[in-house]
Amino acid sequence: MTRLREDATARHALPPPAADQALSPLPPAVETATLSKWYGQVIGLNDVTVTVPAGVTGLLGPNGAGKSTFMKLMTGQLRPSKGSITVLGQKVWGNPAVYFRIGFCPDQDAFYDRMTGLEWVTALIRLNGYSDAESLEAARRALATVDLLEAADRKIGSYSKGMRQRVKLAQAMVHDPDLLVLDEPLAGMDPLGRRKTIRLIKDWAREGKTVIVSSHILHEIEAMTSNILLINHGRILAEGNVHQIRDLIDTHPHTVYIRAADPRGLARHLLSHDDVISVKFEEGALVVQTAAPDGFYSRLTELAASGEAGEIAEVTSPDDNLQAVFQYLVK
Amino acid sequence: MPSFALSARRIFDLSLGQMLWSRRTIFLALVVSAPVVLGLIVRLLTSAGFRGAVRIGGGAVVAGPSIFGLFIWLLYLRFIIPVLGVFYGTSLMADEVEDKTITYLFTRPIPRGAVVVGKYLAYLVATVLVVLPSVMVLYFLVVPTGGGSIASTFPALLKDLALLGIGLAAYGSLFAWVGCRFKYPLVTGLVFAFGWEQGILLIPGYLKRLTIAYYIQGLVPHAMPQDDSALSILQVVARDALSAPWSLLSLGVIWLCFLVLAARTAAKREYVLEQ
Repeated sequence: MTRLREDATARHALPPPAADQALSPLPPAVETATLSKWYGQVIGLNDVTVTVPAGVTGLLGPNGAGKSTFMKLMTGQLRPSKGSITVLGQKVWGNPAVYFRIGFCPDQDAFYDRMTGLEWVTALIRLNGYSDAESLEAARRALATVDLLEAADRKIGSYSKGMRQRVKLAQAMVHDPDLLVLDEPLAGMDPLGRRKTIRLIKDWAREGKTVIVSSHILHEIEAMTSNILLINHGRILAEGNVHQIRDLIDTHPHTVYIRAADPRGLARHLLSHDDVISVKFEEGALVVQTAAPDGFYSRLTELAASGEAGEIAEVTSPDDNLQAVFQYLVK
Repeated sequence: MPSFALSARRIFDLSLGQMLWSRRTIFLALVVSAPVVLGLIVRLLTSAGFRGAVRIGGGAVVAGPSIFGLFIWLLYLRFIIPVLGVFYGTSLMADEVEDKTITYLFTRPIPRGAVVVGKYLAYLVATVLVVLPSVMVLYFLVVPTGGGSIASTFPALLKDLALLGIGLAAYGSLFAWVGCRFKYPLVTGLVFAFGWEQGILLIPGYLKRLTIAYYIQGLVPHAMPQDDSALSILQVVARDALSAPWSLLSLGVIWLCFLVLAARTAAKREYVLEQ
């Protein structure tokens, strides 16, 4: 049985999905070796050895898991306390030249509020060495990409939260970088903006670029990619395709919610098997924890077909969504 | 990659507007208006015939240019310039860190040192723009009193303006480094400017060489009024001053060293933004 341990070496290193491999001729976007970062006594990132391939990778973890620390290390804002990190094949701390190829959208809601969106993005792209005309043109293009051209001449201070998120995205992608690092880019966006941004990120990856996007909301990541890194307490708990990761939980207690006409009768049948760990009654339903989901589902199907335990109206499992995978793995 | 100079220039462009229209500038514009108010009072009193207003303790009449010189020395060089240096200089990086906007600058392909230098240049321009109107108005208010001539003292005004510029450059460079280096730069800067500098200058000996005010003093071009008890302490201080060339050289070294140190500190230091 595969077990998740606190030891970082027990992390589940899974191969990227075959489809992703075929689409990833580029070298790894980010490579780390025993990378650690601590702030005094507080550990931000702990002994992380990971390779992030081209394409979209989701960095998933709860608040305080170490996502932002990892992203700041990727973008050269922090120096590793231990280990190493290379981005697009180059070291990143103290190497500003690599920033031509990196775009970073931070999570903090920080701006020069007195500037307009256009002035701000233009001023930042000018720092890349472009001429005034080129900078203005690139800024307009980036603002158009994030659907903010109409508000380009308004002061950022007057922008809504969603618009502020989008203008941050614009400054990250304005110089057409090879690697986009997006820290919680969907936070505060309305559903429409969210959908557009997700599409934008996918389009970006389709052009052969790499996007690393963090979130603590699982369905956001799921909507963008199936390739994820699960992080908690500064450690990478699992990496790879979300479906492969999900297979891991089949060896862990698995919860099944069954709406049935006779929950008590059904429970009697189910408890006669060793793999059923616990049974809990809810109104007109049964919540079962099993250690062997495959066998359990087979028996349940047979039971439903035979009608021995009465009618079984609905079978759902919270394990079918990414949320449950995440909860299992970060426990 | 853009050159250091081009990067600094573009940071300057980005920062100047932010600096000029900040709340800090409004506050400091009020501070620099204080001498103007005092100058106005002097002017009104002399116009009204209160000649005592321009007499000092021993009864000597002080001409307008000397009063202007005292204003420059006591108010601007000993107070306003260090205040501007402390408040602007220490905030060059600290504001960006506190506002968490430093991320946008430090993830662009420019040397971090250029960020400091560009912002320092913006500081110089912003503070000159804050101080210059105040000095000019004061000059036209005060110099004509007590028989002073604007035409004959104009070269001295230019020297005063140059002196203020040198003071802003030296203090700004020192406090830019303080801002890059220390966690609570404003407190550190205030302690230096109004604790260490003010106190140590009154103590005879070599310790005063560890101040910026000491070297600036050596450049003060104004002859102080004689036989005046109130100014005797200042006379003693002025007598201990270095020669102008040595003062200028020392200030140049201080300026360069601290600016380089500030740029290097910013390049090497991690700025951890509070979540």
